[in-house]
Amino acid sequence: MDETTLGTGEPARTPPRLEGAGMDLDPSRRPGVPRMHEPRPLPNTRFPPERQRSDVKVFMHGRPNKQFPPVFGTDAPPHGLSGKIREAAYRYPDHYMRHWTMLLFADRVDSWEHRLWKMAPALVLGVVGWAALSAAGHRRWR
Amino acid sequence: MRALSYDGPYRVAVKQKPDPRIEHPQDAILRVTCAAICGSDLHLLHGLVPDTRIGSTFGHEIVGVVEEAGPEAREVSRGDRLMVPFNISCGGCYYCERGLTACCESTNPSSDVACGVFGYSHTTGGYAGGQAEYVRVPFAAVGPMKVPDDMQDEDVIALTDALPTGYQAAEMCDLEGGETVVVFGAGPVGLFAMRSAWLLGAGRVIAVDKVDYRLDFARRWAGAETLNFEQVDIITEIKGMTDERGADATIDAVGCEAAGSPMQRAVGIYAKNVAGSSVALNWCFHATRKGGTVSVVGVYGPPFNLVDFGTAMNKCQTIRTGQCSVKRYMPQLLEHVRTGRIDAKALITHRYPLARASEAYHTFAQKKDGCIKPVLLPHSGETVH
Repeated sequence: MDETTLGTGEPARTPPRLEGAGMDLDPSRRPGVPRMHEPRPLPNTRFPPERQRSDVKVFMHGRPNKQFPPVFGTDAPPHGLSGKIREAAYRYPDHYMRHWTMLLFADRVDSWEHRLWKMAPALVLGVVGWAALSAAGHRRWR
Repeated sequence: MRALSYDGPYRVAVKQKPDPRIEHPQDAILRVTCAAICGSDLHLLHGLVPDTRIGSTFGHEIVGVVEEAGPEAREVSRGDRLMVPFNISCGGCYYCERGLTACCESTNPSSDVACGVFGYSHTTGGYAGGQAEYVRVPFAAVGPMKVPDDMQDEDVIALTDALPTGYQAAEMCDLEGGETVVVFGAGPVGLFAMRSAWLLGAGRVIAVDKVDYRLDFARRWAGAETLNFEQVDIITEIKGMTDERGADATIDAVGCEAAGSPMQRAVGIYAKNVAGSSVALNWCFHATRKGGTVSVVGVYGPPFNLVDFGTAMNKCQTIRTGQCSVKRYMPQLLEHVRTGRIDAKALITHRYPLARASEAYHTFAQKKDGCIKPVLLPHSGETVH
């Protein structure tokens, strides 16, 4: 590599001598050219795939006539209020703005729900403690 | 098993989750031996990708060993070491047959905008990611590629996403030899795009970032000239270096968390009123000459951004973009790695056990300690930098 041309902000009129420079100049050496080639299945393809079965609730976005795809993920199923908002969001196709804004809102609600659950033991303890102290104070001043 | 678990914006933890199981005859279960953290994982961490649920496991750059294979994944068997493209692709739908495995129609019920992706929200199908001890890999005999015995996990982990994405970014510039290419972002994808631009015939490569250690790496490793956009008026500088016209092609390897505009960051990243900041993309339009090409591989999530599209339109520019169809790039890029033309392992600066995933994320996100690319080693107990 010609260090004198690098990092100076000056034009590198002589490109650095990196190994292989220019070797993929020929379009036939470019794996993504053309972007779409003649149809041929990938090796080991079994198509159409069998339909996946699952007990997990999975939403499909609401575009009419769209078939549910055969394979899907089952991580983090919907739950609670955020799950209800997500369910409502998925009634709309993804070319509707409200589909995305409702999902982003559901993400925030999910986060609040999660924090509330994490704080729940402390909250319960606090409420019980406050009630106990209040009762003790009430007896003392009676 | 232990797995990374999203705990809300800016927080991840490692928790116990049920072991993955074969859910489809073409599935396999992998014991993850190496899982990289991608720059686009930070968009998830920061709550910018819609339908990122609490408890989700991230991770779409995966190398691992087959523990169990489904009855219709006959070509892989227990003990095979696989590198797994981030796209989940069936191999036989309209798009897969034509090479666009990134647009597979069989793997994402949740949206038409992308195919299934490991660990990348329910917008891309709700699949668990590989930042875990084990992961379910659908279509295990179709997408993944066996790792040659003479290569280590760290030699090939970049082939699952960052390297093909960077290569595709440079390829989309349609170089004919001798052009000037400006790459915005000197993270892993940007660095691979710079190196690929030379392979594809660029005459000059200029890297733009604000992080000095990354620019230094771009000079040493990718042979790029460098510009720090916090020290110069970046568009004026690039035009000054290119006969006042602008570059023949620019690459956006930053995506939706670009710095450079307090207003864009306030509205898009902190208030989340739009899908992040589009500063890098807008700079690409301005830094590219009229009739030039803008290649976009930086990740932008739905719904919309404050994009200066009028500039691109008036300057007669060609915009090329797309998630990378990793599968079609793997064989050729494996040869570039094997022969040493691309030293992909050199980008890995940090190695963490899974238990320290949170630290890994924050070191990467805050660009601390010279971090360029961190990897998680789920079955190792030691941190090695």
